[in-house]
Amino acid sequence: MKVLKFGKIEQVLDRLAQQAEVYVPMLRGQQTGFYSWNTYDEGYDDLMFDILNVYQSPKHVILPQTEMMYRFRQEGQDVIIDAEAQEITPKIIMGIRSCDVRGIEHLDAVFLTKGYVDEFYKARRDKITIIANACYNPGTNCFCASMGVNPTDPEAADIIMREVEVGYVWDVKTEKGQAVTKQIEDLLEEEEVELFPLKRFLRKVDYEGVAEKLKDMFDDPMWEKYSEPCQTCGICTYLCPTCYCFDIQVKTWGEEGYRFRCWDSCMYREYTQMAGGHNPREAAKERFRNRFLHKLQFFTERYGQPLCTGCGRCVVVCPGGVNIIKIIDTVKEAKTGA
Amino acid sequence: MHSSNTQNPLVPGIVEVVKIIDETPDVKNFYVRCVDGGVPFNVMPGQLAMVSLVPVGEAMFSVSWQEENDHLEFAIKRVGLMTDELHRIEVGQKLGVRGPYGNGFPVEACKGKDMLFIGGGIGLAPLRSFIKYCFKHREDYGKITILYGSRTSADLCFKDELFDKWPKEKDTQVYVTIDNPEEGWDGHVGFVPAYLEELKPNPEGTIAVICGPPIMIKFCLQSLEKMGFNDEQVITTLEMRMKCGIGKCGRCNIGHEYICLDGPVFNLAQLKQLPPEW
Repeated sequence: MKVLKFGKIEQVLDRLAQQAEVYVPMLRGQQTGFYSWNTYDEGYDDLMFDILNVYQSPKHVILPQTEMMYRFRQEGQDVIIDAEAQEITPKIIMGIRSCDVRGIEHLDAVFLTKGYVDEFYKARRDKITIIANACYNPGTNCFCASMGVNPTDPEAADIIMREVEVGYVWDVKTEKGQAVTKQIEDLLEEEEVELFPLKRFLRKVDYEGVAEKLKDMFDDPMWEKYSEPCQTCGICTYLCPTCYCFDIQVKTWGEEGYRFRCWDSCMYREYTQMAGGHNPREAAKERFRNRFLHKLQFFTERYGQPLCTGCGRCVVVCPGGVNIIKIIDTVKEAKTGA
Repeated sequence: MHSSNTQNPLVPGIVEVVKIIDETPDVKNFYVRCVDGGVPFNVMPGQLAMVSLVPVGEAMFSVSWQEENDHLEFAIKRVGLMTDELHRIEVGQKLGVRGPYGNGFPVEACKGKDMLFIGGGIGLAPLRSFIKYCFKHREDYGKITILYGSRTSADLCFKDELFDKWPKEKDTQVYVTIDNPEEGWDGHVGFVPAYLEELKPNPEGTIAVICGPPIMIKFCLQSLEKMGFNDEQVITTLEMRMKCGIGKCGRCNIGHEYICLDGPVFNLAQLKQLPPEW
């Protein structure tokens, strides 16, 4: 087995960062998230391969929070659009957990399938290599296995790192993974090591049949009850590794400007507010319900899997204590429906 | 699937506004054409396109008519920031346009049927593409009935077609109503759903196509059901806020359907499968 010893991680990162932007989990001030290794400051940042989930998933690497789409210039009544593709640097996401890898699989389904390929997304995605960090010891808010995620074998990973006593087993899965491995092969060591067993999940939820049941629960009183503490702040959508909704906006100064897209949130009233005043999801309860139905029913109907990977972030960060596990449990126990 | 001069479905092509017609005090019909002639893409009745006044904004509109390979028409009501600016442009202005989007009306499945078009206000814009398509392929469709209403007589769109051209078409009846009595108006007065109940169209072999404010659509659907129209005989076209047009950005969903991609046209049977969020 090829093993990356703990002592050589920084060397590997330095090497990889010569060819690509390498995003790794760090503690930065009060934040935890995936940041570029090039911005690592020894005195301020802590590399955190051992943490289960940083607050911010690496979603932004693949779907930036704001992204320029094209520039334009106005000359009188004429408009010139400059849509020349921007240079995209190869990127490596290293240390990503299975739940967040599943998040990327969902983004792939949305942006690359169903009639249209999103060219902005594809250009970036093609240059991203995923080095996952397998989970053998699920955390207190983890329930990925309940949502159909395999914590030790994320599907879309190019390489899977498996933590062992001395470092990480370096398990190459794809050609992209091989190409990256070539650059650091001399830093890996051949060694027979024993993998840890997967420990049991503390949190479990039974999603089986939930999508089907929800079809008859649109008017269920639980939406009123569970949305009550929701402040529609949107933090769940920003930290969710699968929430992908975006807005398209324009920035103009004088005769020129650019059109860009940025993350949006279905929790906001403006999201569906139409010119002329009509809003099909005016009330917070309606937006709340739509979010959870999207996660647990609509996405499953459209793409075959729920839009929740069991990462547990929203459960932890919601200021109102909204809990998706509780919602799934309630649906499961409900007597109405199929 | 994409506009003429780009491979990226989110980047618009450029067209020129070649004619602007004032339809009502707050509706203008914009004719657009590629700078070097022709239409930017072919559109089926009921399909949508994303139009941008590039430095200001981008919004989805139904294409209210494609005139051969000459131009596209967009009848646009002034209701917000973007449309307010659009109403200030002059002939010669370049616009961005991308599309076509959405499923459009089932023009093939309606062949051989009597057609009943029910429109309210700017809701006539998408219907018009189907109405004119029927006239263009007149032999393919049976009797055509058009019921259209607006708040006041000044708010009626496409007046020359409503009062002059369409009534002269073979086997065609046009009924127009306004909400309240008005001096000089000797036509029908009352809301569209009420007029519909008065007219009592025969459901036999008829397809009803409705577009208007959501409240008008909802009442008309009820009336048609009462008259014996079944769920497959009633078609409507919906509107939601849209940004991408290609089923990615999320906001135009009703249930698991995206209005930009799977819609905007649904029959009542399909509509009943969806949450009532429109």
